[in-house]
Amino acid sequence: MASTLPLWILVVAALVLTSWRARRYAVSLARAPAAARFDQPMRRLEGVMVAIGLHRKMLRKPLSGVLHAIIFVSFFVLFTATIDAFGSRLFPGFSLGVIGGETWIAALQDIFSVLMLVGVGLALYQRYVLRPARFEGSNGKDAAIIYVLIVLIVVSLLLEAAARIEGGADGSWRPVASAVAGLLGRAGISAPAAEEVFYWIHVGAILAFLVYIPGSKHRHMFLAAPNIYFRNLEPRGLAPAVPKQREAPGVDSLGMFDWKQQLDLLSCTECGRCQAVCPAYAAGLPLSPKTLITDMRDALAAPTALPLVGGVIADETLWACTTCRACMEACPVEIEHLPKIIDMRRHLVDEGRVSPGLQDALSNLTRLGNSMGKPSKMRARWTKELGFPVKDAREEPVDVLWFVGDYASYDPRVQEITRKVAELLTAAGVDFGILFDAERNSGNDVRRAGEEGLFETLAQSNIDEINACRFNRIMTTDPHSLNALKNDYRHFGAAFEVLHYTALLAELIADGKLDLHVADGARVTYHDPCYLGRYNGGFDAPRALIRSAGYTLHDMPRCRENSFCCGAGGGRIWQGDDGVTERPSENRIREALSLGDVAYFVVACPKDKVMYTAATDALGATGKLKVVDIAELLVPRASQALDMPAVETT
Amino acid sequence: MNILVVLRMIPDSAGELQLAEDGRAIDREWLDFQLNDFDDHALEEAILLKEAGGAKVMAVAIGEGAKRVLQMAAARGADEVVALQSEEDAMISSREIAASIAAMARARSVDLVLCGVQSSEDVFGQLAPYVGALLDCPHVSGTNRIVANGAMLRVTQERGAGVAVTYELATPAVLGVQTASKAPRYVSGSKLREASKTPIGRATPEPSGFERSAEIITLRLPVQGGSGEILGDNADTVADRLVGILAAKGLARN
Ligand code: SF4
Ligand code: SF4
Repeated sequence: MASTLPLWILVVAALVLTSWRARRYAVSLARAPAAARFDQPMRRLEGVMVAIGLHRKMLRKPLSGVLHAIIFVSFFVLFTATIDAFGSRLFPGFSLGVIGGETWIAALQDIFSVLMLVGVGLALYQRYVLRPARFEGSNGKDAAIIYVLIVLIVVSLLLEAAARIEGGADGSWRPVASAVAGLLGRAGISAPAAEEVFYWIHVGAILAFLVYIPGSKHRHMFLAAPNIYFRNLEPRGLAPAVPKQREAPGVDSLGMFDWKQQLDLLSCTECGRCQAVCPAYAAGLPLSPKTLITDMRDALAAPTALPLVGGVIADETLWACTTCRACMEACPVEIEHLPKIIDMRRHLVDEGRVSPGLQDALSNLTRLGNSMGKPSKMRARWTKELGFPVKDAREEPVDVLWFVGDYASYDPRVQEITRKVAELLTAAGVDFGILFDAERNSGNDVRRAGEEGLFETLAQSNIDEINACRFNRIMTTDPHSLNALKNDYRHFGAAFEVLHYTALLAELIADGKLDLHVADGARVTYHDPCYLGRYNGGFDAPRALIRSAGYTLHDMPRCRENSFCCGAGGGRIWQGDDGVTERPSENRIREALSLGDVAYFVVACPKDKVMYTAATDALGATGKLKVVDIAELLVPRASQALDMPAVETT
Repeated sequence: MNILVVLRMIPDSAGELQLAEDGRAIDREWLDFQLNDFDDHALEEAILLKEAGGAKVMAVAIGEGAKRVLQMAAARGADEVVALQSEEDAMISSREIAASIAAMARARSVDLVLCGVQSSEDVFGQLAPYVGALLDCPHVSGTNRIVANGAMLRVTQERGAGVAVTYELATPAVLGVQTASKAPRYVSGSKLREASKTPIGRATPEPSGFERSAEIITLRLPVQGGSGEILGDNADTVADRLVGILAAKGLARN
């Protein structure tokens, strides 16, 4: 056929151009440090199936999910048309006809051409009419170019088939193209010439699409699946260790990121789902997890003279993150924002570039093992006001070793709750003990603030103390300590069985060891702490406790995996509120208030009691909503029942 | 330039103070010790001078926990770290240690001795003047900026009401640092771990050479003042109670 040679030339040229446009990425990935992401192929594949095959995360936003699914499936069906278009002319004699290219495949192509147009129509409606805020900061031009190319490809495909039908081909398997053929006929367009024109428009648009992709977010067509396949399979609560071959603890150039971290940058779809759930972004801080990724991606595409840390990504951007993990939970292509943020923070810490508040806290932690600057000897002070002695786990064996945590130990606003927990344990006959002045901050947030060396010091000290005790299980008050002891301490080979107090209490109630006053079903809401819920899956025990105490749970719209961070994590609690337009904790209290019928805002993390009490105060809502720890709802029958405040329902 | 910086360990003020049995000293057994804040600034100033124009910095620490602080000093850039032995369980008296500091400065031909302007155990800031006198060289206290230009120093001293005075003086000199030109930097845990291998020198104290001129006969802990009262968080009830209290004290009419 006369068009074979020109088509070959076009195809080869397009492939060369495409590779040339992708060369930077390829070189960068090839040079990147290694990452161990090749284990467990079946589990990895399964994840890809669920993520892509079922569109699981995509469908959390129904319109987006459905329109993407339509475009996605149509793409696969129409790919047969692409094979046909190129195959038939590059290799004369090639045809899909033998497997039904002119019958059922033709019918599918015909129908899915229309569906593809419907999908693109919905996408246009979403992007230009609904305009969700999550697209803010995404590249609008890129999206528009792709819509135009897709429409061009599909319409030219339909018109080509229509022209062929008009020229006498069988149109019985192509109802849509047949209908269009009628229109062409009436317009008096000459069939063979038109077929040829539409064919070249079709293949031209496809090749243009191919050449365009390396510089576009539509790379995700090729990279989403591998990026999901190579996702992190370690426990969510384990922060990545500093690789041995790295000389400094942190990362200060893109080339220091391993290939998976770099692949992340190239896979971003700019969908903004991460941005929509980010508490730092909502608070008006200069951090959007989306632009964090795309800014680094752009620097990878077009190397700049700016340093990565403090140039491409500002110091304030890095410090704004609460490490709540909501972004990673939301990302449909499994991009890992946090390891990058932590690695760059490690660089800042190594350089001593920390805010005064953080410096104070870290210095206190270095010196005394707690962020408050209180002497270790005062750590167990809260036990003095208990009516009974607490065992010293260093002196005698215990069943449960209670790792109390800084806030629960030192903060006068939280000590009351700590004592409640001790009383509940005693009422249930639990044999427990604490480490007294030998306990140190678990290092969870120290590590996430990028202070790896201090984390190691704190962790090692705790591990040594814990290993010297005899016990069966560890219980923590604090979800942050829970996460460190359970996950991060694995770096030192420590494998403890660690429970959050809500889990232990739920177990005691289920075993009938704790007899409680039962309230009359009053409605309360519950805040899932990031490090208990999203990080460690502790969603159900607190809910079971609330039920056992006789309360009815009215969940907020953002609950469980989608819980909204209080704003304290990852070292944020040690930093000022500079630049914050709305505190995440206040945003959250507003959400609870809007439920309209709850009197209690139930928390299960000592930091939360502090953060949310302050937020309710600031909003002048103390009369409407009372922040209580879950332990305060649980009142042993032997004690006096809780007095539920009256609530004005709206 | 050779710089010697003095680092004194003082009782952590957040701890609970208790008197020793004889009532003439603080019971130091259960106390945590921390680096005197002003000495921390002196160390920073020394390191800043080293970074600006090159210098050899020797850090000399005294008191419980000296080792930890010396490792920190090494991590921040001190070239040599020495623990000066001191009398155990006793406060660090400037009169007592001045001779040792002066002797070390002389032995190493130190050009500049830096120490904090005061410490909680030397609220009158006597260390710099004592050492200056023993070395027979100029001393200035209360500095907040030191610039070195060869053997000449430009030293800014803070006075009251925001007045600042700049001196020019020749080394050798002794300066009592109020604040460093820049806030003390943060040293990361990984740098501290690295510095934990730094060898720490030891120095034995010199006799002070001073006669004891007075004895402490008694020490008193701060007396607890009147305690606060929390009035709650509801503006209306708080206002009512406030009016009530003021009226009860005869400060307002009810
Ligand atoms: S972890 Fe939370 S705060 Fe940090 S970027 Fe992600 S969503 Fe934002
Ligand atoms: S990082 Fe993930 S969630 Fe965020 S914009 Fe990119 S693809 Fe979307």
